[in-house]
Parts: sequence; structure tokens; C-alpha cells
Amino acid sequence: MSNTSTDPGASATGAPDVAVRLRGIGKTFPGVVANHDVDIDVRRGTIHAIVGENGAGKSTLMKILYGVQKPDSGTIELDGQPVVLSSPSDAIGHGVGMVFQHFMLADNLTVLENVVLGAEKLHGIGDGARTKIREISAAYGLGIEPDDLVADLGVGARQRIEILKVLYRGARIIILDEPTAVLVPQEVDELFDNLRELKAEGLAVIFISHKLDEVLSVADEVTVIRRGATVSTVPADSVTSRQLAELMVGSELPSPSTELSTVTDVEVLEVVDLHLPDARGGRPLLDGISLRIHRGEILGIAGVEGNGQAELVEAIMGMRPDATGRIELNDGDIAGWSTRERREAGIGYIPEDRHRQGLLLDAPLWENRVLGHQTREPNIAGPFIDRRGARDDTERIVREYDVRSPGIDTLARALSGGNQQKLIVGREMSSEPSLLIAAHPTRGVDVGAQAAIWDHIKRARRDGLAVLLISADLDELIGLSDTIAVLLRGRLVGTFDPGDVTPQQLGSAMTGATDEEETA
Amino acid sequence: MRRLNKLTAAAAVTALVFAGAGCSKKSSDDESAAGEDCVEKGDVKVGMAFDVGGRGDQSFNDSAAKGLDKAACELGFEVKDAEAQDGEPESAREERLQQLVDAGYNPVVAVGFAYSASVGKIAKANPDVNFAIVDDAVEGENISNLLFAEEQGSFLVGAAAALKSETGTIGFVGGVDTELIKKFEAGYKAGAKAADPKVKVQSVYLSTPPDFSGFGDPAKGNTAATGMFEKDADVVYHAAGGSGGGVFQAATDAKKWAIGVDSDQAKTADESVRDSILTSMTKNIDVAVYDFLKGVEGDDIKTGPQVYDLKSDGVGYSTTGGHVDDIKDKLDEYKQQIIDGTITVPSK
Amino acid sequence: MTGSRMTRIALALAAPALALVTAFLITSLVLILAGDDWLGVWSQILSWPTNRTMVNIVNSATVYYLSAVAVAIGFRMNLFNIGVDGQYRIASFAAAWVAGEALLPGPLNIVLALLAGMFVGAMWAGIAGLLRVTRGVSEVISTIMLNAIATAVVAYLLRKVAVREEGSNIISTKPLPEGSRIPGIPFLGGEIYGFVVIAVIVGIAYWVLLNRSRFGFDLRAAGQSESAAVASGINVKKMMLVTMLMSGAIAGLVGLPLLFGQAYAYGSTFQSGLGFAGIAIALLGRNHPIGIAIGALLFAWLDQQSNPLQILLDVSPDIVKVTQGVIVLTVVIAYEVVRRYGVRLEQRHVAAALDPQFQQKEVSA
Ligand SMILES: Nc1ncnc2c1ncn2[C@@H]1O[C@H](COP(=O)(O)OP(=O)(O)OP(=O)(O)O)[C@@H](O)[C@H]1O
Ligand SMILES: [Mg+2]
Repeated sequence: MSNTSTDPGASATGAPDVAVRLRGIGKTFPGVVANHDVDIDVRRGTIHAIVGENGAGKSTLMKILYGVQKPDSGTIELDGQPVVLSSPSDAIGHGVGMVFQHFMLADNLTVLENVVLGAEKLHGIGDGARTKIREISAAYGLGIEPDDLVADLGVGARQRIEILKVLYRGARIIILDEPTAVLVPQEVDELFDNLRELKAEGLAVIFISHKLDEVLSVADEVTVIRRGATVSTVPADSVTSRQLAELMVGSELPSPSTELSTVTDVEVLEVVDLHLPDARGGRPLLDGISLRIHRGEILGIAGVEGNGQAELVEAIMGMRPDATGRIELNDGDIAGWSTRERREAGIGYIPEDRHRQGLLLDAPLWENRVLGHQTREPNIAGPFIDRRGARDDTERIVREYDVRSPGIDTLARALSGGNQQKLIVGREMSSEPSLLIAAHPTRGVDVGAQAAIWDHIKRARRDGLAVLLISADLDELIGLSDTIAVLLRGRLVGTFDPGDVTPQQLGSAMTGATDEEETA
Repeated sequence: MRRLNKLTAAAAVTALVFAGAGCSKKSSDDESAAGEDCVEKGDVKVGMAFDVGGRGDQSFNDSAAKGLDKAACELGFEVKDAEAQDGEPESAREERLQQLVDAGYNPVVAVGFAYSASVGKIAKANPDVNFAIVDDAVEGENISNLLFAEEQGSFLVGAAAALKSETGTIGFVGGVDTELIKKFEAGYKAGAKAADPKVKVQSVYLSTPPDFSGFGDPAKGNTAATGMFEKDADVVYHAAGGSGGGVFQAATDAKKWAIGVDSDQAKTADESVRDSILTSMTKNIDVAVYDFLKGVEGDDIKTGPQVYDLKSDGVGYSTTGGHVDDIKDKLDEYKQQIIDGTITVPSK
Repeated sequence: MTGSRMTRIALALAAPALALVTAFLITSLVLILAGDDWLGVWSQILSWPTNRTMVNIVNSATVYYLSAVAVAIGFRMNLFNIGVDGQYRIASFAAAWVAGEALLPGPLNIVLALLAGMFVGAMWAGIAGLLRVTRGVSEVISTIMLNAIATAVVAYLLRKVAVREEGSNIISTKPLPEGSRIPGIPFLGGEIYGFVVIAVIVGIAYWVLLNRSRFGFDLRAAGQSESAAVASGINVKKMMLVTMLMSGAIAGLVGLPLLFGQAYAYGSTFQSGLGFAGIAIALLGRNHPIGIAIGALLFAWLDQQSNPLQILLDVSPDIVKVTQGVIVLTVVIAYEVVRRYGVRLEQRHVAAALDPQFQQKEVSA
């Protein structure tokens, strides 16, 4: 094992520049050790990345530092002082703030209202607070207007509000759990600029990501966690992403192979002139969408979150009764069908929000295998659930998709984000769909598992699967798709050939920065 | 966590419902029975099963208790009582009676028509024990039915109300919408019409079975009566047990008249409201109970229906305060006509 | 393996035991503060019941059981049907009326009345279901209001169809003809309701339907996560409506043991408040058919054994309402406490099994 780590024990205890010192942190959950013997030093004025496989224990560690979870063992020192953090408010009191992957903003409130919510004591709720927000925004180049309505803002801006919220509460140590998963490249760059500002002001930033190139471009130091333990901490300028990946999994990664096109001329899905009005009377959520996908074809949809991706998927799945237009599956009109009928007709569905739409968090894994497929083999026997069949097939999915779990009776909630995602992908692929609607199929999944999921999808495509792929990860879109269409404000504004498009070009099209004639 | 909260909330609501029911514990000391002038205790043990509300309801349970206590004192009976709970099953009533029997109480007096079926059944199962039931006609060899002609007494106070009213509008507040209380209303209306054919009678019931709260909710009584006073009524008769206190209060506040029920409430109600009580329709349950118990002592128990009406002075009207002195002759005339049978008072 | 299984069972029993002990202590405290003979109270309540009381316990538990199952069906789908109370009263009335009219001979008349009760209960609950799915009105609010409306409707209709015996102040529906009564089952020298059999069938059907059937899966999924249910193809609105209808149909059975086995008519003294007891018992039994059965027997035991308290000790039987209330409140907390303890226990096992050094360190720490 290559170990280029700067031995944390070497620096003098309580060294003035160490903002966070974790020593011997351990945490077990039923059936798993999430963390043990984790040692990390985060210096002030640096960006510290944490990487590791799905289920390695990254989120758990950060939740411990943010007081959400209590460690079973180990100590936390902040600025040289040992502390016990038993709740997030404790952590905030000690200057630790966290931005979760899922934003916690109220849409119909203004930025100001969202920021002061729960922190009314700090600077009041009026002009004092407004001034303070402007100040912070200016100091770190966040570009936030306190009186904007959150509903009108894009994903990148929302994330900056989350960061501002944390700064507003006086955080000097900022944790970001997979902040880039939902951002397009331009937004990622902006975020990183913001992070550099923070670091220049002497704050410590800890961030988690599965995108190793990003990690290397922005972080000063990288800590690799494997199976709950720290493997090493390395300076970012001394490793390559390949080396990092090897540190993460403890062996070499398979290199993904490029594939020949398998597109046929048999149409699987045809959507004609799909409209979806906004119930609140705004501009239509979907505006005249027409598309077709053939057997063996992957159609990628690029777009900044909130431009109609979720609505498009839900309309095709029959979850949007207001939608009008023609939807044909294998030459049959399915526009009037229920979601269940569409699923039974052979549509697999990987929803974008796995917690809200993909899983029953408080049900065991094998019941989650049944979810969405509760009218089909191997899950049922007549009007009854076939427990044996469902359980056996869950075992298979867990094996084939490398879902790391103590067992199939474990509750879905107890899986790490990436492993939950793998379970969903495995489930949707196992019914041999003719059309797969995949929204962010590898979101939050580590590099190894990402490659595996891509392989699964490609293999199915070879066998004739048609895929509608929505992803914020442009490399994924470009790497998998046969065609890429860009969705902007509810309309398809252009089609690209993934063979000769760069992420930057796509990014511009997605934000509406290019003229339409530029699109190929 | 959210789930737990929802559960806890559900549990808390439920617990409150139960705890609320649990607050109404009432002690049933028989102190009044141990007064100094009382005779020595003999060996007759009387059991009494009250309806919901029990002792302290300032209404018909109390009235029955008064008769019981009097018997305890003057006849030297040992007494024991137990009260019903709101919404209880039939089996609870049967158990109560049977347990009194098992504990050696004989006779057993059941207060209120809710005991109809249970008295019928338990009396049959225990032929050697004597039973009495107030307000119900259930038949049995060993059952005495203590019945009242409430409509006759109500007729007289209805007439009094109409005679005293200056606005020509009077009111009736019933506690719970039951057949029994409808008898009061019917008599009251008939009496009022007899005295003044043009009189207007407003009437309201405070609750509907199985909700019996109308017998014990002064606030509801107050609201109902106040409403009537605001709509021109100047005399309101209540047959609402413990809710009557609110009616009296409303009358006092509005400087109008109220009419009491069951006992002479100008003597028993809160001092501050007594002056607003025009008269009361007396229903002498205590007399009936005492009569029955006296029969036990004298080995002269009358089984079957014992009707207490104007004739036998089982019902009547009170004159405390002298507010009806000016119309007393008129009222006594009606009374005589009812006794003679010249007037038949409807009971519904 | 068997060791951990034993621990699991022990943990499952620990929560209700903890709740019972707490309820016992708090009730004792109330009794002591009120200056009552608390030892006497417990020795009465915990004494072995007489045969007659035993019969009453089983009978009363039967009624509670049906009520709690009706509530539990709603709970499983995240619907809080507070309206079981109104549903069973209006359904009992309907069943009593239908049975009293004796449209069909003997046993057929029973079946007709059962169906009528279930139908009316379902319809009454269905109103709340419909309001929820079409107008988004919370079933908590609507069922509370429907309870009040049921009271008024029943009072009104009862007066319309009632028969009244001369001299009686009780009004009730026409009594059931002899042939349309459900005969009791001999038990300890007395008779328990024949309806016990139907309650058992309901319990089994509830379990099979909820835990083993596709329909039950959909129902539970919709209850756990509406959004996930929608994405999985479940028509959540339909499920809500169906669940309310089912809950109401079972609620429609609640009063029928009383009707067919004891009262033989619906009148002004028909037992009320059973729906609220059902909520408590469903919580206590964790919506599990066996748990509910135990909870129902416990509540019935407390009720029946406390009956003589007034006569023996001058203590109002209302005191067991305090006990019951405390049980419900504490059982929820106890389940959570025990669950957390169990998780900790398991964590320690896992840690020890996976990492021997870890164990040593913990010991030395
Ligand atoms: N609440 C919980 N209960 C039980 N086990 C849990 C719980 N949370 C996490 N775990 C387990 O702890 C381990 C570490 O999970 P964690 O979420 O920290 O992983 P991660 O490194 O963030 O992974 P990912 O990249 O997939 O998000 C996993 O095996 C997971 O199953
Ligand atoms: Mg994570």
C-alpha cells in the first residue's frame, strides 16, 4: 500500500493552524462498522477533501463532526480544544456548519427569510440581517440578494444560500457533503471559486465528492477512507486521480471501454408535443416536447436542474395527470395509462430523488425489491407477496450490484447513499424493461460502482434496451448517450452528438448562453 | 423521529381523553347519615346505584341520595352507593347491581332509566332481593317502579312562567335530548299555553345522547339561556341538572327570571343567583325513595309502578322567595283541575 | 442465532412491560395522593376474576378488539381514523334497525344486518376518505366532525323508528327477533358472545391482508411514503379511500357483538366511546393482530376488575382510566427507549465480532 500520508501525529498537539482534529473516531451501526480509528487533521485556511467508496463512512464521519450522530469512541478537537458535540446547535456554537446534499430551503420564502429562520437572535429579522447578508455575500463573492425569492433561483444559487446560511451563523469550519453532484460544470467552477474565497479568509472547508478530478483541482489535502478507517491523507498536488481511486478501493480500477453504437431503427418510445402547464399559472413546465428513442439507444437529456427534467420523467411515467400530448410505447398509445400500467408495460424507472421516490426507508431491502414491481414475478404468487421469491432475488441484486449491506433484512435507511442507489438500479434493471427512465443513475455512487452501473446499462442496451438518461454529470451523459438533447425552461433547445461535444459546450447550451443556431 | 412525534401526538390525544375521564372521581362519604340525631344502625343494608354524575350533581342523583341518607339516619339503615360511568356497557350496570347483591345489600335502588334492562335482568336472577328503580317501568315480581308525573309539575311552572312574562316569550332549556326531558318540555308548554294561548316558547337541548354532558355543563346552560334572554324571553325553565347553575347565572346577569327543577333550587342554588329563581318544579325523588325504604322497614313493600304526581305531592312547585305569591291562587286552581282530571297534561 | 432471537423476543416484551410498570407506579401515586387504599385497589384488580367477570372480560375485549383493528387499518396507511366512534354507532343503529325489521328469516337476517352495519360504517368513513382525496381535508378533522354528526343523525333517526315501552324512558329500535340473535358460546359457566368467532376471523384476515397480500403491500407502502408509493405505481388516492372504507367497514362491526349478543336493539343506553378505546389499544398493540388482542384483553381486564372498587373500597373505577391513559402514553415512549437500547446492544455485539482490538480498547477506555 503506498502511503504518502503526512502523519497526523507528527504535528505538535494543539498546533495553532489545526482547525479540526479527529482522533480515533469509531461508530458502529447494527451489522456494520461505519467508522473506526479515524484520524484527520484539517488545517485552517485549507480545503480538505474526503473521498472513499460508497459506504466507506464519509457521511457518518461528517455527521459526527456536525453533532448529528454520537461517536462510540474517539475525540474531537476544534482549535485545539477538546469538545463534545451532541447536537447540530452544539456544533454551530463551536463554529462548525454543514451543507447537506439535499438543500433545506423553503421555496416560497425569500433568501433573507430562509437565512434568518432559526437564527433570529443573531442579527434580528430586518435590516440588520439584510445588511449582514449583503456583507457576507460581498466578502466571499457569493452574489446573493437577500430579497430574492428562493423559488426563482437555480441550483447553484441555492447552494450558495446554504453556504451563506452557515456563514451567517458564524461557522469557521464548513462541511459540504457531495455539493457538486447536482451542479453543471460552470456552477462547479463558481462553487470552487467561492470555496477558495472562504479558504483565503482563513476558514477550513471539508468537502466530500466522488468526482476525483474535481477533488484534485480544488483541494489542498485529500483524506482517503476505506471501510470506515483512514487510509491516508495526501497533499492534492502529489497524486493523480487514478492513484486516489486505487487508494480508495485498494486495487486497480477497470478502465471503461468505449462501445460501438447499438442503435436500431425500432422505435420504443415516441413522445409528441408534450405539454405540462404550471398549476400556479407560470410558464409551462413542459412546452411542446417531442422525442423518440429506439431499441438499443440511449438518449441523454442535459439541463440545469429545475428546467423540466423531473416533470418530463414524471409525465412519461404517468405521474402528471395534467400533461397533454401523445406518448407511445412500442407503438401503443400509453398517454391515458396509470403509472402501474406503464411499469407493467416494460418501463423501468430510476427516480431522481431516491429517498422520496425510490425507497421505503423504513422497510427492509427485500420489501424495497418489491416496490414498483408488486404485480410481477418473482415478487408475487397470485394475490399474495411471494416472500421467498422476492428475498432470493434481492440476494441476487445485492450480489450483482455490490450493494454493501449486512443483509436483506436491513432497513433501507441504514444503507449509505451510494448503496441505496445501487439497490434501486439493480431493482429496475432486473425486470428486463424495454425502456429505462434513468434520472441520475449514478448520483452519489463511487467511481468503481459507477463504472459497474454503466456496464450494466451498456450490456442491457446491447440487448435492445432503450434508455432515457437524465444526468447532471456531463461526462456520464457524453460517455453513455447516443444522442444528447438539451432541456431549457421546459423546451428541448438542441441536439448534440456526444462524439464531438465538450462538457463546456453542453454547459453553455444548458444555461442558455449560446444561440440556438450554434447547436449542431 | 418524525414518526415518533406523530405517534406520541396520537398517544397524547388518547391519553388526554382517558385522563379527562379520570378526573371526575368523586368520593361518596356517607357522613350525612351519621348525624347525631340518627337512630342506631340496624341490620338492613341498602344499596343504591346512581346514574352518571352520582352524588353531588345537584340534581336527581342528589335528590335520590337525600332520600337514602334520610332513611339511613331515621331508619338506621346501612347504606352503600356506586355510580355509573359515561358510555359504559350494559354489563357494567349489571355488574354494579349484582355486586351490591353479592355484598349483602337488600334492597337495591337503581336511579335512572338507564338501569331498566339491568334491573330487569338482575332482579330476575335474584328473586329474594327487592329492587326499586327510579323513572322506569320495567316489570318484575320484586321490582318497585318509582315514577313521576313530571309533566304535571312542569305544567304548573309553565303556567307561572306565562303569567309572569311581560314579553310574552318564555324559554325551556333541556339538558339532554331524552324522552324523559321531553316530558318536562311537553308539560311546560302545555301549562304556558293554558295560561296564555299566545305565549311563545323557545326551547333548546344542550346535548344529544350518547353525549350526556348537557346535564353537567353550566357554561352551555349559560350560553343557551343568555341567547333566549337576548331574543326577548324573560322567563327560562331548565331541566338540565348541573347545567342549571349557568341558567340561573344568565338570568341574574340579564335581570330576568329562571325556573329551577327537581328540588327547591331557591334554597340550594348559589346564594348570588337565588333571587332570580321564580319557582322550581319539584320532583320529590327523595320522598319516593324514602317511602320505598320505609316500606322495607315496615315489611310492606309495594312492587310495581308507584306514581308520584300532583295528587300524591310527588311533584309540585315551590314558593320560596314569594315571587309567585300573586299568582298562587291561579296555579292552585290548575293543580286542582289536573288532580280532578279536568285537565289532562300531555307527556310528549 | 437462537441467542439473538431470544434477545429480540425479550426486547419486544420489555417495552410493554416497562409501560405497565410505569402505569402501575403512576396510578399508585395518584391513589396514595388521594388518600385511597392503593394496595386494596391493586389486590382487587390483580386478583383472579370470578367466572362471571371472566366472561365479561372476554366479551368486552371482543368489542375493543374490533374497534382497535378498525383503527389499526388506518394507522398502517398513515390515516388517523378518530371517527371509529361515530362509524360504529351509526352502523350499529343501521344494523339494529335492519335486523329489527326482520326482512329475511333467521340467520339470513343476521347476515343482512352484518352487511348493513359494515356498509353503513364504510360509507360514513368513506365521507372522510372522499373529503381527503378530493379536497385534501385532514381525516382527523373530518372524522371528529362526523362523530358529532353521527350523534345527531342517529338521535334523529332513532326517534323516527323507535319503539318505546309504556312507562319507559328508553327508546330503542325494534328488538331483534329470537331467531336473529347470535347464540353465545358456553365459557366458564357463562356465555361469551358468539361474535368472538367473527372477531378472530377479522384478526386473521387483517393479518393476511396487510402482511401477506399485494394489496396490503400497497397499503403499507402508501402509508410509509406517499411519494415513493406514487412512483411505484400505487394509486395513493384510491388506496386512501379504500383504506377508509375498510376501516369503516370493520368499525361497522364494533357494536354488533353487543347488538346480537346482549342488547338485541339499539337504544339510548347503547355503549358509547368504544372508538376511542380502539385508538388506545391499536397504539398499545402496535397495530399487530396479536398485540391488539393482548391490549384489548388488558383494557377489558382493567375495566371489569375495577367495577367493584366503588362498592368494596369507595374508590371510583375511573381510576383505571388513568392507568389506561398512562399505559398508552408510556408504551410509545417505552418502545422507543427499548429500541434504542436494542440498537446499542447490537452495535456492541457487532463491534466485538468484527474487531477484537476495538473491544479491548473499549474495555481499557
Ligand atoms: N442510520 C444508520 N443505521 C445503520 N447503518 C448506517 C446508518 N447510516 C449509515 N450506516 C452504515 O454505515 C456505513 C457508512 O455509511 P456512510 O453513509 O457514512 O457512507 P458514505 O461513505 O457516506 O457512503 P456514500 O458515498 O454511499 O454516501 C454504511 O455501511 C451504512 O450502511
Ligand atoms: Mg454519503
